[in-house]
Amino acid sequence: MVASSLRSFIKDVRNAKTLADERSVISKQSAKIRTKLRDDRLSNEKKRANIQKLLYLYILGEKTHFGQVGSINLIASDEFVDKRLGYLATILLLDESQDLLTLLTNMLNNDLQHPNKYIVALALNTLGCLSSTELARDLYPDVENILKNSSDPFLLKKALQCNAKLIQKDRSLLEIFPVSLIGSKLIDSANISTHGVLLGVCKVLQAILITFDKSFNKTGEDTATEQEDDDEYQEDVGILKTIAEYIQPLSYRLSTLNSKSLEPSYDVQGIQDPFLQCELLVTLKWFFKIGNNLGLEEITRHNTAFNDRLTQIATNTSALKNPGNAILYEVTRTIFELNLTQPLRVLGVNILANFLAPTKNANNTSNNVKYVGLNTLVSVVPEEPKAVQRYRKFISQCLYDYDISIKFRALELTFEIMDEENFVELTTELMNFLEKISKSHYHYATSYIDIDDSKDLILYTVDHLLEKFEVFTNSDDKTKLDALMNTLKMAGSFVDLDRTNEFIVAINNIDDLKYKIALLSKELAELLDEKKNADAESSACLELTIVWCIGEYVDLIIANPNTNKNIVNEKSIIQFLSKLNNTYRLSKESKMVHYILTAALKLSTKINDKALVEELRQIIVSHSKDTNLMTQTKSIHYELLFNQPDNIKKQFLQAMPKFEKKTTSRGLETHPIAKEPKKQNDLLLDLLNDTEFGKIATKEPTIAQPEKPNDVLADLLGSSTSKPKEKLQIPSESVLIHKGTEIEVYEKTIDISSGLAHLELYVKALNNKLTDIQPLCAVPKTQKITLSQLQPSNSMNAGETVKQSLRINGSGKLKLRIKMSFCVGDASAVVSEQFDYKLDQTI
Amino acid sequence: MSHLKYMLLVSRQAKVRLMQWYTPLTPKEKTKIINDLMPMILGRKSKMCNILEYGNHRVVYRRYASLYFICGVTPEEDNELLTLEIIHRYVESMDTYFGNVCELDIIFNFSKAYDILNELIMCDGSIAESSKKEILNNIKAMDDIEGNNHLDRVLS
Repeated sequence: MVASSLRSFIKDVRNAKTLADERSVISKQSAKIRTKLRDDRLSNEKKRANIQKLLYLYILGEKTHFGQVGSINLIASDEFVDKRLGYLATILLLDESQDLLTLLTNMLNNDLQHPNKYIVALALNTLGCLSSTELARDLYPDVENILKNSSDPFLLKKALQCNAKLIQKDRSLLEIFPVSLIGSKLIDSANISTHGVLLGVCKVLQAILITFDKSFNKTGEDTATEQEDDDEYQEDVGILKTIAEYIQPLSYRLSTLNSKSLEPSYDVQGIQDPFLQCELLVTLKWFFKIGNNLGLEEITRHNTAFNDRLTQIATNTSALKNPGNAILYEVTRTIFELNLTQPLRVLGVNILANFLAPTKNANNTSNNVKYVGLNTLVSVVPEEPKAVQRYRKFISQCLYDYDISIKFRALELTFEIMDEENFVELTTELMNFLEKISKSHYHYATSYIDIDDSKDLILYTVDHLLEKFEVFTNSDDKTKLDALMNTLKMAGSFVDLDRTNEFIVAINNIDDLKYKIALLSKELAELLDEKKNADAESSACLELTIVWCIGEYVDLIIANPNTNKNIVNEKSIIQFLSKLNNTYRLSKESKMVHYILTAALKLSTKINDKALVEELRQIIVSHSKDTNLMTQTKSIHYELLFNQPDNIKKQFLQAMPKFEKKTTSRGLETHPIAKEPKKQNDLLLDLLNDTEFGKIATKEPTIAQPEKPNDVLADLLGSSTSKPKEKLQIPSESVLIHKGTEIEVYEKTIDISSGLAHLELYVKALNNKLTDIQPLCAVPKTQKITLSQLQPSNSMNAGETVKQSLRINGSGKLKLRIKMSFCVGDASAVVSEQFDYKLDQTI
Repeated sequence: MSHLKYMLLVSRQAKVRLMQWYTPLTPKEKTKIINDLMPMILGRKSKMCNILEYGNHRVVYRRYASLYFICGVTPEEDNELLTLEIIHRYVESMDTYFGNVCELDIIFNFSKAYDILNELIMCDGSIAESSKKEILNNIKAMDDIEGNNHLDRVLS
């Protein structure tokens, strides 16, 4: 009858034709249960029926709070049926944060001493799920009692699990917990120490060790209660020494488990209880983690034996099926977390690399090991770069995996292992990858990759490639240039136009002029060839780069004997420019127009044909009435300059110098070795040095922006040339935010509105002349920061002040981490001072 | 070390069939997790790996016929591969208990499914028993006590 009424309710819900029908069935039933549960005279059988229906509501995601007391009442019954359901409902409907838990104290206390072991087990299970600190304190004696007096493995395993939870809830329980109990009774006795009990033992030991680990890490921080801490520390070490005796028996159990197949009941696809093996490994790992930190002889003497044990497990465990892989994976995590000896680390890398090895039948099992393999390898590269690099073939293959998350991991890892030596090889590999993925992007309808995913992949690749190009300055120029061009061609349409600067800088900085010109002339030929070009669409990014290159190198390209003069000649190039000019004239992309203007101006000094020069002038003049003020100004300035005699013009329009972009020290810091562990929660932690995740703005006054000619010209032609240097005063309303040995920094808030903040920093040199001042500034990930140039210059004498203004876009609390580096006096060594500053305001 | 955050059983129509939370979360957070995860998981092809990143944790899932078994795990602590085996142990145990378990068995006998889960996983999501035999023996013993109670009542 009970079942049928729950059954009929479930059936009603399932049979509901529409969502509205379903809602009405549910709300009717919910109201009915609510009234029924209030009725004290209801028989237990009816109560159960109602609670069961309530649980079904819980699964459906409905409100069930009104049944909490009802469930607890059911526990008070003497019937097992009632208790079983009552406990289940209590676990589901209540959680640890509720005050109602105090109602449970007495019932749990009674049931923990119940003669029926299943009722005790239910109570233990509930206490394990819902233990507030009060419950933990009040009921701990009962749990300990079971551990001491019972010899039933079923009860012991539950009591152990529960005990572990209680220790974590209330650390002071450790003082009274008889740890020696574990050894004499639970590990040594063959009848008692079943797998379940051992799992419980592991859990308790882990709970103790993790609690210690937390408090040991904390002790260093506050010294106020030193005496107390010291006593506690001694006590903890005492406990540690006692439990250290279990290392050997546990390690022995692990090795027997690993080498023999004993009971079919624990077998998982040919592996004996992988669950227990992993728990044992983790427990031992915690022992050594803490023991090695403290240099505790009782633990460290087992180090060698443990290393041997790990090697033994690594060699014995079959990697054919998932359970075996789970154990191998745990072994490698142990190796790297404890940072064990080099041979073991190499062994670890080998295991992980084998996870990546291509298998004949790709299925999701092989993908799971690939995923964890790649994920772990990424974190391992800093320690064992060479060992990981050896497997770059496997890693590259994962780039072409079916699964997007594996692609991403493989990509991350590829950049992680890139260095000067394998730069060429990996770049070629990445080019192949880019080609494939950007093609699949165009035909995404037939491809399995989501369009956004493939865009993410492409952008990630481009960003990191550019970064690597900056870092590896010594590597092969040809590869770099080819890669740059290919990237632009394949991925240009995904790249933001603002990022094109980085491509241009990279191209400009390549020394091999001859190859550069050869390549450019080939590219131009392809681009200008109208027959070929009819259907190919080119990206704005590529066009912008080409326009810049035309301005910069056109004379060299045309002079190059290998250039196909039929296609690439002065006339066709100028046609190309004016065609582009027409295309972009009315668009909002003023950046493109600016580049076209500059290119036209530069070109005018490089060709002699009068008619063509006039065409160039037309391009420039065409913007003299542009609605965009910047463009208009530019057009008029350029026109003035255009009409200057050649020899004056040439001086301003010389080839760009090599960009000294960003400091080399930053380049070094992006190298994998210096990378901090990822997944930091604190936004401010992945700061200054971690370019990949933090948002950083660096500003060096020496950076020459591609549009610099414009500034020079503007100054030359405009009204104000060089202003007399004014001495900068620190405004009175600014606040002191940092006082270091060499500098004082003041902050003045100009404006804070939603989404935007404008601040000014005043840096005052205290005692010495400071030169080459470089401010580095980082904000939380939700924000973006723009630094302007230092005013009036990047050096100052003692007592002088420079100003740095900051603009922050985004949202969230205003927090800054600022690092000022500079040279003191005439010394060449760079000194830096770093500090954090938090404003009260939020944007 | 297993430290599951939750175990969810969800059908292919994104209907929850069972949920057990091992960390205290507000009903809102719970609903958000389920609502976020389901499209992510349902959209994945069968060849893709069974692990995905979600918020501050990882999710390990596995599909058995029409049901998805979904576990939230802690990245640095849990072993993702082992979590898959825990899920499998649970499925095997239910399979033996119900005799070729199907989604309907779980819908109509959800409290039994919970009982089995509670024998396998305890407290804050740690595995408490690795033997299927042991789990089923205990469930059966408890079922018997329930039956006897019932019998006693009828006789008295």
